[in-house]
Amino acid sequence: MAAFIVRMGPVLMLWLAVCVSGSWAVDRGNFKTCDQSTFCKRQRALKPGQSPYRALLETLELTNTKLTLQLINDNNKVRLLLELYRLQGNMTRVKINELKPLKPRFEVPDVLINDPPTEPLSLLSQDENGMVLSLGADSQRLIVSAKPFRLDIMEGREVLLSLNSRGLLAFEHLRIQDGMWEETFKSHTDSKPNGPTSISLDFSLPGVEHVYGIPEHADTLKLKTTDGGEPYRLYNLDVFQYELFNPMALYGAIPVMLSHSPQRTMGLFWLNAAETWVDISSNTTVFGQMLDYVQGSSETPQTDVRWISESGIIDVFIMLGPTPTDVFAQYASLTGTQAFPPLAALAYHQCRWNYNDQEDVAAVDQGFDQHDIPYDFIWLDIEHADGKRYFTWDPHKFPQPKEMLQGLEDKRRKMVAIVDPHIKVDNSYKIHSEIRSRGFYIKNKDGGDYEGWCWPGNSGYPDFTNPEMRAWWASMFAYDQYEGSRENLYTWNDMNEPSVFNGPEVTMHKDAVHGNWEHRDLHNIYGLYVQMATAEGLIQRSGGVERPFVLTRAFFAGSQRYGAVWTGDNAAEWDHLKITIPMCLSLGLVGVSFCGADVGGFFKSPSPELLVRWYQTGAYQPFFRAHAHLDTPRREPWLFGPENTALIREAVRQRYALLPYWYQLFYHAHRTGQPVMRALWVEYPQDTATFSMDDQFLLGRDLLVHPVTEEGARGVTAYLPGNGEVWFDVHTFQKHNGGQNLYIPVTMSSIPVFQRGGSIIPRKVRVRRSSSCMEHDPYTLYVALSPKRFAQGELYIDDGHTFSYEKQKEFIYRRLAFANNTLSSRSVGSVWIQTFLMLCLSVDGKESQLEFDFDASMSVLTLRKPGVNAGVDWTVVLQ
Amino acid sequence: MHCPILIAVVIWSSCVDSQKIRGISLSYKRFYRERKSFLCIDGSKLIPFDQVNDDYCDCADGSDEPGTAACPDGRFYCTNLGYRPHYIPSSRVNDAICDCCDASDEYNSHTACQNTCRNLGQRERAEVKSQMRALDQGLRLKQQLIEEGVLTWRDKQAQLRDLQRVLDDLQTQLDDLRKEDARRKKEVDALRELEIGALETEENSHRSHIMNESPVSIFYELDSNRDGRLSAKEVRAKLTDIQDGERVLSEDEAVIRGRVPGRLVKGEPVLKAAVSAAEKAAAELKKVEDAYETVYMEIRDLREKLATDYGPEREFLFLYNQCFQLKVHEYFYELCPFNQVTQTSASGAEVSLGKWGSWAGSPQHRYSQMKYENGEPCWQGPTRNTVVTLTCGTETALRSVKEPGKCQYVAEFQTPVACRPALRQQGVHSEL
Repeated sequence: MAAFIVRMGPVLMLWLAVCVSGSWAVDRGNFKTCDQSTFCKRQRALKPGQSPYRALLETLELTNTKLTLQLINDNNKVRLLLELYRLQGNMTRVKINELKPLKPRFEVPDVLINDPPTEPLSLLSQDENGMVLSLGADSQRLIVSAKPFRLDIMEGREVLLSLNSRGLLAFEHLRIQDGMWEETFKSHTDSKPNGPTSISLDFSLPGVEHVYGIPEHADTLKLKTTDGGEPYRLYNLDVFQYELFNPMALYGAIPVMLSHSPQRTMGLFWLNAAETWVDISSNTTVFGQMLDYVQGSSETPQTDVRWISESGIIDVFIMLGPTPTDVFAQYASLTGTQAFPPLAALAYHQCRWNYNDQEDVAAVDQGFDQHDIPYDFIWLDIEHADGKRYFTWDPHKFPQPKEMLQGLEDKRRKMVAIVDPHIKVDNSYKIHSEIRSRGFYIKNKDGGDYEGWCWPGNSGYPDFTNPEMRAWWASMFAYDQYEGSRENLYTWNDMNEPSVFNGPEVTMHKDAVHGNWEHRDLHNIYGLYVQMATAEGLIQRSGGVERPFVLTRAFFAGSQRYGAVWTGDNAAEWDHLKITIPMCLSLGLVGVSFCGADVGGFFKSPSPELLVRWYQTGAYQPFFRAHAHLDTPRREPWLFGPENTALIREAVRQRYALLPYWYQLFYHAHRTGQPVMRALWVEYPQDTATFSMDDQFLLGRDLLVHPVTEEGARGVTAYLPGNGEVWFDVHTFQKHNGGQNLYIPVTMSSIPVFQRGGSIIPRKVRVRRSSSCMEHDPYTLYVALSPKRFAQGELYIDDGHTFSYEKQKEFIYRRLAFANNTLSSRSVGSVWIQTFLMLCLSVDGKESQLEFDFDASMSVLTLRKPGVNAGVDWTVVLQ
Repeated sequence: MHCPILIAVVIWSSCVDSQKIRGISLSYKRFYRERKSFLCIDGSKLIPFDQVNDDYCDCADGSDEPGTAACPDGRFYCTNLGYRPHYIPSSRVNDAICDCCDASDEYNSHTACQNTCRNLGQRERAEVKSQMRALDQGLRLKQQLIEEGVLTWRDKQAQLRDLQRVLDDLQTQLDDLRKEDARRKKEVDALRELEIGALETEENSHRSHIMNESPVSIFYELDSNRDGRLSAKEVRAKLTDIQDGERVLSEDEAVIRGRVPGRLVKGEPVLKAAVSAAEKAAAELKKVEDAYETVYMEIRDLREKLATDYGPEREFLFLYNQCFQLKVHEYFYELCPFNQVTQTSASGAEVSLGKWGSWAGSPQHRYSQMKYENGEPCWQGPTRNTVVTLTCGTETALRSVKEPGKCQYVAEFQTPVACRPALRQQGVHSEL
């Protein structure tokens, strides 16, 4: 422990920003509308009304872990089995399946990280109309109404949420074939061997006007009502040149919706991997009277949601919050948290379809050094492989991949090469012949290997839902299997919706077969499995030592555990830049923090202004990668004149300086499930002004970013939340009061970013060639005082790339606090001191004086070189 | 300067080696003479001298930390004894990557950098030597090519002058012939007038108008453009009662009919001689007109060619009308300087990668790059273009062609004429 008295003295540094007193378009015809997807049309034709379902109360069984009850459809006498679970952490699980299905219906495996621990339900009362169950503390009750069947979750006298209150529970039971079941879309016929199997359920959310989530859609953060339009669709699709601001399906699907009001935040997790449509309506009067015990019923705003899926069962997790943080923790307890990426993966990535050859890679690498722009990863798209045979290298363009990788390693940089899940049908290609001989390919409805067209031409699709296949796939990343690979080669999984160029809606036929199940049942989870198997491969090749880094385009609930996602093939347009914010915010709300969009836009060519603005925005979004289509002109950062090069350099440098903060936010996301990039309402849940805001965002709690996303902008108006709080412009240290709209004049170099008063943010201000080069560099702490002259923050440090932080608990995790004119660092977790951490003189047990510099005009106090060791307790006292 | 905050007491002794300030060149030594304090080179701040290279950035210009990575835009001087000294960004000091060949940038990163300056220096000197040899040879060749170019230029100029002279002669001839032609035509006309007058007096006046007219006057009547010939068009325009099987007047018929006056005037030797002289004059005129046209075009082409910028000494002139080939994997490239660049695939399909546009080097070295533009358009993209970079070498050859961006080609073209004496200076400097 060392104590410092501010006045003078040497060694490591520390900044105090102190407040002292003042201070083109998609071809829509390729994709189905709800009307063209017959189950959606059928289900949507069903209008709210009296439900035909009735609970058979006499079938009630209540055990320690769950309650079961049969439901009967009075129209066709088919019985369903309802299972209710009270889960630890304020959640309720509702499962509905056929009581006696002709054959099992698909239940999604591998998404939940474990069997969610339950808590006993207790029966409070029961009569012929229903029963009341206790959900534990907080006077929360679950009311089961028998006829018609419905569920209400109440807290005190308030209904939090109702199921089947609009009578839209519909369960198409499996049946003996009673006619032609097949359906046709364009030239594709779906044989539908099991006939209609869809399911639907409605949820009513009294008091709720704002719902979020259910990515991936290129739409606003706040979900819109879908009355009179298309429902939001969840069906992983490779959409060529997607359109903005509509509910069409995109590459990934996470069936999780959050509802929010100043009183409460809740979540609905609809665990179903089949094609799913979500209708949202907001109507306070029509259905209000149904909730006769709701206070002020007809005046209460209400949002109604309806989920429709093509097959599987109803399995819903109701996360009761009540705060946003609680909902994140609840969802994380079910599906896990964000994978903790290697630090370098949070740095800048340079990608292009395609870097042509080794020489090109070397030249681009050299270009970054010549222009003194840092980067950590250079990427190779599909052209690097020999005829798009993944795991191989084009012998002319990349004859010596290991040498190339060594060249990057010498600069402490890394590479990502693409490995897609479509496998060229070519008997001389080892990957193909092994998959075929092991029977690992997905089968078509007639039992042969399913084949479709993709980049390599005729391709097979490995069945990643098969654990043996995944294990084999993972083994292919071993250094002796993946020829030309090295430790600094990582992987990118694209096209894993899966994309099938000649398939229905550019994807796989729904009647393709994965073992016992149809592709229909599990379509949306295919991409998750691809990334899961790939990430496992990268872990295994290092003997379980190194953290993997895998980027995926398709995803599902739980994908956050395996790496990063990006928003697919966007375009070099200003609106596409703007949409990156709601798209990544939506993903963050449902667990996926490691999100980014192609900087510059994939299709088309950005103007220099758009490119610069995109770098400035991307520098403050979690996954920061520039990418470009093959047909576009080159756009490495130095190709647009010295001024633009300097602007881009500065944006990238700002990213690198903030890497300690990013890393710590990801550590947090990994530990707790809290999103890294946050919607404002997450931190200001009472402030209704923030509820629809998606042109700015928070990083953690402490940085507010309002990127410039308008062409020719002269200024932006940022909303600084928090009455009584203060925010500091991170570039000028100027202080602004919270709870106001602030007009900020901007130039081309402006990236409006504010640090919350009351926070301490660690940075590394010595920006070097790559993040690895900065590992030994000292930290600079930016202490922004609250009006009460208080601040706190954290500092998390580990080796940046292995699992040692987890397995050997090798990390430093400090809580930093400034109070009573004293800045101190105290241990949070286990402490591991590594000599590399600090370039400092020994200060143990000594008391010394620090030199300082005070800028009275901006009230900035700079403490010169406190030189403390990040791993030990220390105190700095201002006197 | 009054800086009260900075009046500071050093509690323990400095760890800075005052004998040797790391990271500065000889010429900067004077700024770092050891005193009690150090003035940032930009004059912005005065700091205690022991804060120089103490791994904390005090000066806005980074001058207090020439030997550490502390300042954001600082620079570090690699002395590189035995090789070339140079500056690196200070962010490359102690980043565990060896940047200076004397390893001086990695004094505190636990990275074992070898001092490779001697080797590098030797290798570079050898390289420079061979480069110099190549450069000398290239420059000699260049001189030859320039001289050849001068000769060619002179030839071409002489050719141009000759052609001009020929053209002038032709012009004179043309003028004369045109006059002659006009005179002859007039003469024929006059004779015909006379003939018509004579015939009219001879012929009986109560014959029908058509029958009255002499063949000469009919001819005259028909020959509406007065060129002494009858075309089918002219005849068709005047006659409506041509009676042949097709009821269409062919050119042959018209010509035969057109000759009628000639045959009919056989008896009149004066007119006959005049007509024949006129025909001869017209034929002569046509011949000279054609010759004029040919020479004119030749002059235009030559002028165009001579108007192209072949460099300050016309050293690139010899490339005109030459083409250079290169095979890269399955593609065959051809560069025809000042004309075009093409790519031929294995299947034989030829694609234009651009037509001669302009010199495109930097303002200092305009002649170091050529731009070929407006080649075949790309699918969903712009037209193909090629930037050719010229490098110094003893041979003239196409060295590489690449496509770094879709339909944007870059080529390296080596030739002695790209050798510049200035390259020798650079080589000499690098021999330090």
